[in-house]
Amino acid sequence: MMDMVQLLKAPQAGFEVEDDFEAVNVYCRERGWTDGLPIVPPTQERVERMLAYCNRAWDEPIAALPPRFGAATPLRLAANAVMAGCLPEHFPIVMLALEAMSDERFNLYGIQATTHPCAPLIIVNGPIARELGINSGHSAFGPGAHANATIGRAVRLALVNIGGAIPGLGDMSTYGSPTKYSYCAAENEAASPWEPLHVELGFAKEASTVTVVAAEPPHNINDHESTTAEGLLKTMAGTMATPGVNDIHHPLAAPVVLFCPEHAATVAAGGYSKADVKKYLFENARVPLSKFSDENVNRRLRKRMPEEFAKAGMDAMVPVAKSPEDYTIVVIGGAGKHSAFIPTFGNTRLVTRGLKHEDGRDVLSIQELRRG
Amino acid sequence: MAELRKRGLLTMVICSEPFLKLGKTQARVFGVPALPLIVIPHPLGGLSIDDVKARAAAALPEFIKLVKEGAR
Repeated sequence: MMDMVQLLKAPQAGFEVEDDFEAVNVYCRERGWTDGLPIVPPTQERVERMLAYCNRAWDEPIAALPPRFGAATPLRLAANAVMAGCLPEHFPIVMLALEAMSDERFNLYGIQATTHPCAPLIIVNGPIARELGINSGHSAFGPGAHANATIGRAVRLALVNIGGAIPGLGDMSTYGSPTKYSYCAAENEAASPWEPLHVELGFAKEASTVTVVAAEPPHNINDHESTTAEGLLKTMAGTMATPGVNDIHHPLAAPVVLFCPEHAATVAAGGYSKADVKKYLFENARVPLSKFSDENVNRRLRKRMPEEFAKAGMDAMVPVAKSPEDYTIVVIGGAGKHSAFIPTFGNTRLVTRGLKHEDGRDVLSIQELRRG
Repeated sequence: MAELRKRGLLTMVICSEPFLKLGKTQARVFGVPALPLIVIPHPLGGLSIDDVKARAAAALPEFIKLVKEGAR
């Protein structure tokens, strides 16, 4: 175990304030260290408890978080996880999400500072999602599940307090997003007719992973009538194909399509694999040039994608994503006929990381990480 | 831009008013706190060509002043 007392001797490592819930909250709020909601005071004892499942050096940065490029050490992350209300068992998922977000392909710098309303969506796969009680069913995106709410919130607080994504200063999102409070769910693997996301990506079924997405909030896709795969996919592609959707304007778009279990069952029963679904959406989620404003056609689409559209007629179709592989399919939710389209920042890739021991073995239970 | 400035090149950034604080913070983060920021009216997107030219004209006096100072 590292020496917390020693670590707290570093400049500005800690602060002293009256031992009172309201006083701590006023102190943090006045310094912009909250998301506007009350926080749990990050006392030395609580932060030390949060680190009980941390298998990394407490002062060794996991990432440098832009735009401030603050060092995200386990110690600092643990303080934010305490503030968010996490349990110590949740903390390895918080660290793994930050590690995934520091992958250059994710483009955290752009995501933090952009005017676009994206927030990091954290999708957890594998047995540890179930062990931690990360909701994948009814109301997976909230409210109600403690793990979903606090893991997502801890990541967001770290992005603000360590990364400097302060609204209007480092986070220039035009109107923000309710998902900037928390945005975390597990895939409903038990209710999916397809292989789970982590298995599709080459991880073992018994491995657990975190996937991060620079995501807009979910946009609902209502279809209570279609009984065939083609019928449902037509509704989905039609809902996604709009001239203002963010992904259509960006060559690196990586949108996510969330299937509720009932819709997934219908589409799979029609013989569609995930790859077939992606191919269908690539071919059919398209908007004709005639649906865009003249300015968007002439100043943007014809110039940004000249090979396809520089001289194309107004009936030419612009795809929402630029290849079938750019789509990600996940199954999340409970009973009902509501799926969702989750557009993204555009200039970003999804990043997945496995929860592993130092020697590279998959962590099979969160209890394997408990120290002492 | 910060890297170019560190190499001794004449550098400046043109930004619209809402992004001035972000620009100042980033200049400090990247170790070039004196990086000149020329502020022009917002927005930059969705402008006619005449409006774009007006933005350039607004930036020009400060731009010329900085170039002359840099050349000395």
